Amino acid sequence: MSRKIKSVFFVLVIASLVLTACGGGGGGSEDATPIKVGAIFDLTGATGDVGTPYSEGVKGYVEWLNAKGGVEGHPIELVSADYAYKVDVAEQLYSQYVSEGVVAFMGWGTGDTEALRTKIAEDKIPFMSASYSAALLDMTAAPYNFLIGTSYSDQAIIAVRWAIDDWAAKGNSDKPKVALIHHNSPFGQSPVEDAKAFAEANGAEFMSLPMPAGVTDFVAELAQMQTFGANYVIVHTVSSPAAVLLKDAKSQGFGAQFICLNWCADEILVNLAGDAAEGVMGALPFAPPTSPVPGHEAAAEFLQGQGKTLEAATLHYTQGWWTMATMVEGIRRVLADGKEVNGENIRAALETIQNFSTGDVTTAISFSATSHKGNNALKLFQVEGGKWTEVSDFISAE
Amino acid sequence: MISGIFHSTYEKDMALRRTHAQKIRLVLIVIFILVFPFLANRYYLTLANQVGIAVIGAIGLNILVGYTGQISLGQGGFMAVGAYTAGILTARMGMPWWASTIVACFATALVGTVFGIPSLRLKGLYLAIATLAAQEIILWAVKNWDALTGGVDALVVPNPELFGIRMNTDFNFYWLVWILVVIVTIASVNLFRTHFGRAFIAIRDQDIAASVMGVDLFKYKLLAFAVSSFLVGLAGALTAHYRSIVTWERFTVDVSVTYLAMIIIGGLGSITGSYLGATFMTLLPVVLTNLGRAVKTSFPVIDSIIPFVQQGMFGLVIILFLILEPEGLNKIWKNIKDYFRLWPFSY
Repeated sequence: MSRKIKSVFFVLVIASLVLTACGGGGGGSEDATPIKVGAIFDLTGATGDVGTPYSEGVKGYVEWLNAKGGVEGHPIELVSADYAYKVDVAEQLYSQYVSEGVVAFMGWGTGDTEALRTKIAEDKIPFMSASYSAALLDMTAAPYNFLIGTSYSDQAIIAVRWAIDDWAAKGNSDKPKVALIHHNSPFGQSPVEDAKAFAEANGAEFMSLPMPAGVTDFVAELAQMQTFGANYVIVHTVSSPAAVLLKDAKSQGFGAQFICLNWCADEILVNLAGDAAEGVMGALPFAPPTSPVPGHEAAAEFLQGQGKTLEAATLHYTQGWWTMATMVEGIRRVLADGKEVNGENIRAALETIQNFSTGDVTTAISFSATSHKGNNALKLFQVEGGKWTEVSDFISAE
Repeated sequence: MISGIFHSTYEKDMALRRTHAQKIRLVLIVIFILVFPFLANRYYLTLANQVGIAVIGAIGLNILVGYTGQISLGQGGFMAVGAYTAGILTARMGMPWWASTIVACFATALVGTVFGIPSLRLKGLYLAIATLAAQEIILWAVKNWDALTGGVDALVVPNPELFGIRMNTDFNFYWLVWILVVIVTIASVNLFRTHFGRAFIAIRDQDIAASVMGVDLFKYKLLAFAVSSFLVGLAGALTAHYRSIVTWERFTVDVSVTYLAMIIIGGLGSITGSYLGATFMTLLPVVLTNLGRAVKTSFPVIDSIIPFVQQGMFGLVIILFLILEPEGLNKIWKNIKDYFRLWPFSY
C-alpha cells in the first residue's frame, strides 16, 4: 500500500468514526426513534386502479404527520412495496417487514388479509386493510384485524334498510324486491347471508346472484333480476364491472334503483358509466372529496402544497389517509402512556379508542376488547350531475 | 488434457454423479442447506420455504411436460386439489397433518389421472386447452361446492404438530420442506433410470415410435399424469399446512402459467432445471422489489414509477433469458461447467 493511499484511508476511517459519533449523539438526545410500520399496496395488479390512490393516501398522511413533528415526537417510518395483488408476494413482504421490526401493518385486499390473518395473530401485529369482510370481526380467528370502514354486511344491511323505507315512502304497500349482485369471490360473497337474513326479517323479498368473471356484458344477469321483478339492485363489486352493468341496464331499459356498496361507489364508476351512473345510490363509509367535511381539510391542504387537489386524488385517498390516521392514533396512545411501542400494546391501545373523530369523513370510530368493528353507520350518496352528492345523514345498520 | 466426459463402462454411464466435481458440488449444496437456516432470519427462511415448495411443484410439472411431453396448464388446479384435500381432512375430520398430506398426494394423483385421459387423443395446444379446462373446472368446484370446500371463504387449517413440535414455524418448516425436496429429487432422478422413466421420454421424443417399440401409450401417459399430480398435490398440501389457511385465490391460472414459466426457463426435462427455474421465478421479483427499495431511498423522485419498471423488468429478463438460451438456465449452467472443464482449449 503506497503512502498516499494509506493517508487517504486514514482520513476516511477518522471521518467515518466522527460521523458515526455525531449520528449517535443526535439520536440519543431527542429520543426520536422512528416507529416502523409496514405496508403492502396494489399498484400494478388487478385492483391497482383503486389501490394506487389508497396507497397515496396512506403515504400522504405519514408525510404530513412527519412534517408536523411525528407522533409524540417520533417520526413514522413507512416501509411499503407493491405486491400486485399476489398472495405469495404479500407473504414475502410481510415476513420481510416483520423481521425488520415493524410494529403494525397496513394491508390491502381480501386475498392478502385472509392469507395473513393467522400469521399476524401469532406475531401480534395489529393489521388494518381496506377489506371490510365481516369474517375479520371474529375475535378468535382474527384477533389483530381492525376494520375502519363499515363492514360489507353492514353496508348491505343499510342499503336494504334504505330500500325498504324508500319503497314505503313511495306509497307502495306490497313487499319490495331486492336483488344483490356481487363479485364472485370471498369479497363479493361476504355480505350475502347477512343481507338476506335482514331483508327477509324486515319484509323484503331477496335474491342474490354472482357476476361471472371475464364476460363482456351482464344481459343474462339483468334478465334474471327482471324475472325476479327487482325494484332495488345492490351492487357489490369493483367499479369497472359495475359500470358495465349500469350501461347494460340503461340500454336494456331496466328500471330498478341501483345501490352500489363502497368498492363500486367512487369516481371511477362515474367516469366509466357516464350518463348511466346518474341517480345511482352509493353506500360510502368514507365521504368523497366533493362533500365538504372538516376531515378533508388537512389532506386537501397537504395536497395543495404539492400542486394537487383532493378531488383529483379521489375518495380512496381519503380512505387511505384516515385508515393510517386511526392506526397512528393507537400508536400515539401507547406513547402517551409511556409504554413500549409493540404490536400487543398498540392492539390494547386501539381497543381503548372511543368515538375517535375523523372530522365526519366517517362516523366516529370506536373499538373495544370484544369488538374490532370500527363503525356501523354511513351516509348514502347519489350521483347527480356526475358527482356523488350526500342524500342522507348517518344511517346505522342496527 | 480433457476434451469431454467419456465413459468406458455401462455402470459409469448409468451413474447419477459421473465426475468428481459433481460430487464436490453435491457436498457443498448439502452443507449449505444444513447451515442456511441457522444463519438466515425469518424473511430468508420464508423465501427458502417458498422456493422449496416451488421446487417440488416444478419437478412434478417437469415430469409431465419436460419428460413426457404432455403440456399442462392445470397446475394451479391440481395444487388446489392437494391443498383443499389436506386442509379439509385436517380441519374438519381431525386427521393428523402428515396423514392428510399423504392422502392429498394420492387424491391429486387420482384427479390428475382423470384429467389426463384426454391426453390419449389430444396433443400439443389441444391438450393445453384441455388441461386449462381442468384448471377452470377444479377452481369452479372449489368456489361453488360449498358443502365440501366451504365455498369462496377461506379454510383455516390447524397448525401441524409432530411430537409436540409445531411444524409450520419458518424454521421448523424449512427442515420439513427441504427433506421432502431431497426425497422427491432422489425419487425423480431415479425414476428416469427405470423403464417407466424411459417410456416417458420415448413418448415425448416420438409417441408413434414408442408405441411401435411396445410402450403402452395409454398406460404410460396416465402414469405420467399420476406421478406428476402426486408431487403437485404434495406442493399444494404443504402450502396448506405451512400457511394454515387455504383460499382459492392462491391457485388461479396465473399459478399454472408461472410454473410453466419455471420449467421452461429452468430447462425442460431436467431436475436441475426445475430447481433453477423455481428459484429464479420465486426470487427474481424479490430481487427486483429490494432493488426498487434501494433505488427509492437514493432517488425518491422516481418512487411512483418503480413498480411499473419492476413489472417491465420481470418480463424483460425472462424474454432475454429465453432469447439468449432457449434451452433454459440448465443449459447455461452446463455451458459454464464445460467452459471451465475445457479451459483454455475449448472448441
